[in-house]
Amino acid sequence: MRGPCWNGPARLTMGPLSREAWAQRLAAFRASPSAFMADPEGEDLGRDLLSDLRNEKLSEQTKVSLLVLSLEYPVQLWPDAPAAEVAATSLLDTLVLLPPRLSALRRLLLLAATTALVAGGALGPTSGASCRLLPLLLGLASGSDLGPGFGPTSEQRSLQATACECLRELESCKPGLLGGALGLLRGLLGQAGPVQPFSLLLALALRNTLLVQSRAGAGLRGLLMAGISPTRGGPWDWTLVEEGDAHLQPQAPSWPAAEEGERGLEAREPSPEEARELRAAVAQLLDTTYLLTPVAQAQLLWLLGWALRGLQGQPPALFKPQLVRLLGTAQLTLLHAVLALKAAFGEALFTAQDEALLLRRLTLAAQHPALPLPTHLFYLHCLLSFPENWPLGLEGEEAAPLLLRPQLCHGLLPSLLHDRMALLARLHLLCLLCAEDEEEEEKGLVQSPRGSLEELMAGLQQRAALEGGPRALATLCFQASYLVACCLAGQPTVLTPLIHGLAQLYRARPVLAPHFVDLLDQVGPELGEPLRALLRQEVVSRPGRDEALCWHLQMLAKVADGSAQSATLSFLQAAAAHCTGWDLQQALLRVCRALLQVGGGDGLADLLQALARQLEDPDGRDHARLYYILLAHLAGPKLGVALAPSLTAPALASSLVAENQGFAAALMVQEAPAPIRLSVGSREIKGPLPVLQLQVEALEPIYSLELRFRVEGQIYAPLDAVHMPCLCPGRPAHPLLLPLQPRRPAPARLDVHALYTVPTGLTCHAHLPPLSVNFSDLFLPFPHPPEGTGPGFFEELWHSCLPEGAESRVWCPLGPQGLEPLVSHHLEPFVMVAQPPTSYCVAIRLPPNSRLLLRLEAAQGDGASVALRTDDWAVLPLAGDYLRGLSAAV
Amino acid sequence: MAQRAVWLISHEPRTALCGTVRFSRRYPTVEKRARVFNGASYVSIPEDGPFLKALLFELRLLDDDKDFVESRDSCSRINKTSIYGLPIGGEELWPVVAFLKSGMIYACVPLVEQTLSPRPPLISISGISQGFELLFGIQDFLYSGQKNDTELSIKLSQLPDLLLQACPFGTILDANLQNALDNIHFASVTQPQKQPAWKAGTYKGKPQVSISITEKVKSMQYDKQDIADTWQVVGTVTCKCDLEGIMPNVTISLSLPTNGSPLQDVLVHPCVTSLDSAILTSSSIDAMDDSAFSGPYKFPFTPPLESFNLCYYTSQVPVPPILGFYQVKEEEIQLRITVNLKLHESVKNNFEFCEAHIPFYNSNFSSFCIQVKPNCQRPGELGPITHLEYKVSFGQLEVFREKSLLVWIIGQKFPKSMEISLSGTVTFGARSQEKQPFDPICIGGTAYLKLHFRILDYTLTGCYADQHSVQVFASGKPKISAHRKLISSDYYIWNSKAPAPVTYG
Repeated sequence: MRGPCWNGPARLTMGPLSREAWAQRLAAFRASPSAFMADPEGEDLGRDLLSDLRNEKLSEQTKVSLLVLSLEYPVQLWPDAPAAEVAATSLLDTLVLLPPRLSALRRLLLLAATTALVAGGALGPTSGASCRLLPLLLGLASGSDLGPGFGPTSEQRSLQATACECLRELESCKPGLLGGALGLLRGLLGQAGPVQPFSLLLALALRNTLLVQSRAGAGLRGLLMAGISPTRGGPWDWTLVEEGDAHLQPQAPSWPAAEEGERGLEAREPSPEEARELRAAVAQLLDTTYLLTPVAQAQLLWLLGWALRGLQGQPPALFKPQLVRLLGTAQLTLLHAVLALKAAFGEALFTAQDEALLLRRLTLAAQHPALPLPTHLFYLHCLLSFPENWPLGLEGEEAAPLLLRPQLCHGLLPSLLHDRMALLARLHLLCLLCAEDEEEEEKGLVQSPRGSLEELMAGLQQRAALEGGPRALATLCFQASYLVACCLAGQPTVLTPLIHGLAQLYRARPVLAPHFVDLLDQVGPELGEPLRALLRQEVVSRPGRDEALCWHLQMLAKVADGSAQSATLSFLQAAAAHCTGWDLQQALLRVCRALLQVGGGDGLADLLQALARQLEDPDGRDHARLYYILLAHLAGPKLGVALAPSLTAPALASSLVAENQGFAAALMVQEAPAPIRLSVGSREIKGPLPVLQLQVEALEPIYSLELRFRVEGQIYAPLDAVHMPCLCPGRPAHPLLLPLQPRRPAPARLDVHALYTVPTGLTCHAHLPPLSVNFSDLFLPFPHPPEGTGPGFFEELWHSCLPEGAESRVWCPLGPQGLEPLVSHHLEPFVMVAQPPTSYCVAIRLPPNSRLLLRLEAAQGDGASVALRTDDWAVLPLAGDYLRGLSAAV
Repeated sequence: MAQRAVWLISHEPRTALCGTVRFSRRYPTVEKRARVFNGASYVSIPEDGPFLKALLFELRLLDDDKDFVESRDSCSRINKTSIYGLPIGGEELWPVVAFLKSGMIYACVPLVEQTLSPRPPLISISGISQGFELLFGIQDFLYSGQKNDTELSIKLSQLPDLLLQACPFGTILDANLQNALDNIHFASVTQPQKQPAWKAGTYKGKPQVSISITEKVKSMQYDKQDIADTWQVVGTVTCKCDLEGIMPNVTISLSLPTNGSPLQDVLVHPCVTSLDSAILTSSSIDAMDDSAFSGPYKFPFTPPLESFNLCYYTSQVPVPPILGFYQVKEEEIQLRITVNLKLHESVKNNFEFCEAHIPFYNSNFSSFCIQVKPNCQRPGELGPITHLEYKVSFGQLEVFREKSLLVWIIGQKFPKSMEISLSGTVTFGARSQEKQPFDPICIGGTAYLKLHFRILDYTLTGCYADQHSVQVFASGKPKISAHRKLISSDYYIWNSKAPAPVTYG
């Protein structure tokens, strides 16, 4: 659906719009600016507005409404800096062209030009409009005669104030802009003109200059004393702005940030003359504060307070004459400004007695019947965040100030008659008092804080228990309980009655189950654990055919755990008969699920089986069966993981989806990167079969590892899987022995898969890099013949190879050490006859039933001749490769 | 210190949106600064539609509270001030200052001149109190002297112009919008130099000063051993000074008779130029000084043009003006009520009116049997009053059957004995389908009667403004008039046979 969009008939003529057409168009824009601007018509709005401001046929009233719109939505009308520059130029031109009579447009045009420049980001030394606007504003502010074009003299006063406001806004957005005009502004404040606009403008410019000049190094005194005449004609001085530009400074910094700023300020040490001049300027400003409206007084105090903070030679005592007057008022802004001064200067401005008085006034204001509720609440917040001279607690944490004794707070105690927020705020204070009360019992009170707390909580619970009462009452009771649980977690004397009261509330109104579930989710174990147990007891002691069965089941799904399972199960059994609808059955199954998650139990299996038969709804039966199967087939921890909230499902997905995805994640094998590194270790010859010795290195903790091997080309018999109970990184593991059953005596590649469980209980699968089985890995020795018969046995073997077999000769290049190291390193176990260092007879058995015989003779020079025979043709090329490999390695 | 935007929203329960934006104003130059200061934590000001929806939800003003909604009802979402974070488009707009008053929601978003994460404490944000003051100012403007919806609409239509005067760039110049309105009218007058900003022009005419003291007395009476009854007087001194000159000085003294009750917790208007330290420290919150200051209370000030509240005070008078006793007993199918009221002898026995309202709520006496038909009873919630038998020693009793309310009209004077009584039995029907009055306090036997009365030319503390002690430093001798009145406010007498909510202080 599109928002209302403008399509007035007047648009078709492309001429200026009538008053009605503009009214219609502006209303459409205001209804939804984004929808309006998305329409093609929207693009022209900014341009049409500027041109129609000069349309003589349009009434002033319509033009006012156009300008007001531009004050609120300049970014929509002129979205970028060039457009804003054009707009501001056009607005200024319009201003100059106004007839000299009284007009409501002048003030608005000044505001609009200022707004357009700032909001569009066009304000700067290169902007023509900026360079026109600034001297114009300063001229108007200083009351210079700018000619009849700027209206009758009767309008000058109002324009003067407006110009000050525009300058203040420009200075706010570009700190340092008016640094060069400080002297002028001071002079103006002293002479003529409205006090408030000049005071605020001077205070802001002074503060910004203080911040900027400390970086720029400009002389403050020079600036304060500078020329009295406005800088007309001459170029505007942007130097301080360029300094200030990078750091837009908070006018009234929030306190913690100011702490950091202070360090920067402390470095500033104005010269004695500068300090004197500054003091004079500040005193001048403070002297006339009573002429300002209360909100403006507060602004001035914030500005000056934070400007002078940490500045040498500027005693905060300057503010003292203002304080008594301010402390007496009921005005929120003024008391807040006093607190800001307190935070800025601390003990330097407020002695311990002053602090006590301020605190008393604040306590009084927080409960004064003549002040409205929002004010009370804000003062209560101020009390708990009070800027103490010597704070004890952690910064940023709400706490009752040290001087705020419980006697003072008597009127701030909560009562059931209070509004929701007032009750919670006062309850918080009461909790803080109770926390202190633990250490020292306060005397002289009608009632101890703890007694009041208990009474209040009981009252809240009673109200929440009210049949048909609004939900807000219940919510309030639970919020209060949460607050107490958070503040007083370590105090069983407070928590115990609260817990019993809550259990009673549940008994009275099970419909509040969602609130209880929420509370249990939020609070810590101090309240949560005992409350859980009581609520469980509360539910399972019921007959199970309650009207509120759905709430009981919801409650039980939250609180059911391993304890008292038989009672829980008998409740569920009784309830099952009354669970007729789909939703009730699902609620019942959710409890079963919760029980499964904590490990199930014998009775649960029976119950699930019964449910799988008995439930009316097929979906319910399916679920019961599924749970039964899970319970029967999965071990406890795995069950917990399977039913735990899914890690993969997004939090917002429906519970059904979450459940399914949770199962899928938990019960399916997850693909994972290799958790281990496998390598073939040194050979050990033992037994009738070749055995690979595998080294395992774990990269993450894993359990129940099963390694599966598959031989490519099926040249070996299928290999058995290897199991390991657990592996941990850094802990050495025993080598794995993998016996091979070759069907042919040939090297092969083993494909390796790992299946294992991770600590979170998920089962994972990983494909490992393949392992290579070399030809030599298959070598087995012949049994050793009796002593002395070796040569004969070898000759026998040698001759038996032919004629079926094959024979070959290979020349093996040798290194300088000759034949002996080669034989001892690679062929030692298979040597049958040895005449070191020149002649060796080697007999190798190759499973399943081949043999390879070698005669190695060291020849003259640097080689050996190897005669080889085998009974298997296919072995010959492999043997050749092997021997060439050996000699290449030398 | 500046505001990024301001809204006025009328709360319209049982309509589709539950509210309408009646006025809104954005400040783009402040928004520009917010973007820089807030940095990555910046959240832009939404359009009116989404803002309305989010605010009403947060203030729990949407009609639908049937189901538990975590984002609203969760126990950990605790708001202890009128400052909210509004979830809008996946981000949170904070801080939003907002409150509901007389069906109108006042809201604004102050500029925070630093990053918003972590959130700075509210006390450190100057724009918060400025925002409150602006909203209070708008509220005062809309409701001062406003009688009907037409007047409200007229005032609403004036708001854009007024804010253009009082808050052209988002930084408030004057929270007193009436003053801003006058400023527009006075704009053509050339003002002299030291004109205060809170005074739009000067008065021309016959000089006169009018002082009126209004005391409101509230009380909670239980008639119980373990709970102390409480009562308190809250006074407001309102002035209207029509004096010539730019800065006329006036001093008003409030005096007490010899046995008068000292004024405490004095809060003054910002135009008061100085305050005696004895006034400043006299407070009800600690019993530190027994030698309470008993006046005269001098308030030197330079008055604004309009009528203003010079000061507020509280006082602890020794006895409540009317001591009451209220008892409700269940008797099978009816409630037996007994009321005794006694006017204290020191109180002026000349009322403008005096009434005792005795309401019954459907949550009262839930174990109580209700007569559904003749000879047929069942326990249930109270419905309308079906039958009443009573005896009053004085005045007359009116019955509002459907509202389950009895009003005892006592009239202008208590009898000579100063004591009056009412006794009777009330029978109720079953709760009807229509919404019966519901009260979260009156559960079971907890019930109250509330006194409404007004006495003219009288204050309970005895406080008065002596016309001769009013000093005016201005040309011409002004005519000085002083008025006093006592009004009851929250004057409750609880059923002594059942628990009652306790207040402190």
